[in-house]
Amino acid sequence: MSIRILIVDDHPVVRQGLKALLREHAGWEVIAEAGDGFEAVDKADRLRPDVVLLDVSMPGMTGLDACRLIRESTPECEILIVTQHDSPQMMREALGSGARGYVVKSNVSRDLVAAIEAVSQHRNFAGLHREDAAAG
Amino acid sequence: MKLRILIADDHEVVRRGLCTLLQSREGWEICGEATDGRDAVEKAKQLKPDVVILDVGMPNLNGLAATRQLVQHDPRCKVIVLTITDSDQVIREALDAGARGFVLKSDAARDLVTAVEALQRNRMFFTPRVNDMVLAGFLDKGHSMSRSTPPRLPELTPREREVIQLLAEGKSSKEVACLLNLSTKTAETHRSNIMRKLGFHSIRDLVVYSIKNNIIQVQMPSQAASPTDPAA
Repeated sequence: MSIRILIVDDHPVVRQGLKALLREHAGWEVIAEAGDGFEAVDKADRLRPDVVLLDVSMPGMTGLDACRLIRESTPECEILIVTQHDSPQMMREALGSGARGYVVKSNVSRDLVAAIEAVSQHRNFAGLHREDAAAG
Repeated sequence: MKLRILIADDHEVVRRGLCTLLQSREGWEICGEATDGRDAVEKAKQLKPDVVILDVGMPNLNGLAATRQLVQHDPRCKVIVLTITDSDQVIREALDAGARGFVLKSDAARDLVTAVEALQRNRMFFTPRVNDMVLAGFLDKGHSMSRSTPPRLPELTPREREVIQLLAEGKSSKEVACLLNLSTKTAETHRSNIMRKLGFHSIRDLVVYSIKNNIIQVQMPSQAASPTDPAA
């Protein structure tokens, strides 16, 4: 299945890491990268990716604000939050902002592929590290 | 002969990014990856890399304590510390521990290759922001530096630093003993020595101290609005 992906993270080294992980999947294409929320909103609007991998903590505009704006301007585009925050509260906020999925960065090797597959098919994905939180 | 590099970061996505960045250089290879400071020390002893790149904020044994152990084990060990903060204290501790390079994670894509090249030529590397700060402190002859410098930490042994981190991460004396291959009684002795030296009466005090002194790093959801750790 072909999936066009936009990667948004303020740290180039993390973007490179995500790209390296995604490169292994035939048909998945990283069409662009963005380093902050403003750039993310702009690129999502212009490039219309299928999935946006969106960091939360970024300078200028946070990932959650960008998430709301992308959902308004490009509703067909699904958003997968990729964050360090292993927190049910943050996950609720993210899903409430319009994200379709949530992955904790420490679990990317376990969850990222399944999460992208799910959100690209408009299904929810909630991945938390903490077992108690995952159940919630 | 290839330059062999060991990378230690608790986040796979960061390790993958660092690998991609460094492997693109001809003549360099990643000889191993470690997921925390303890793993890094063990792998460095086994693999004898030319350069070790250590994240500061790792569980079980942070990057500064790991640097200390690596340099103690082999004074020729070349360590680059990767950090999210350029606070005076972290810089001082990194240098004190024997790191020869200091790179901010936010600048890693730009600076890390240069840092490894510098160490390869037996030189040191500081990320430009750190260079500026060190130079400013030097020119000011310690005037502004000494005013802004927090008091030095009480003299703690490397073992006590390890125990502090584990206790602050919520481990019991028994778990500490198990992780460090000590008897529970010895772990408890370390614990009481630490509490006495620091003048603390509860683990809560120890946790606050550990956060303030970058022994452990925590990320609260309320901090989400500000850029911090690349893993954030």
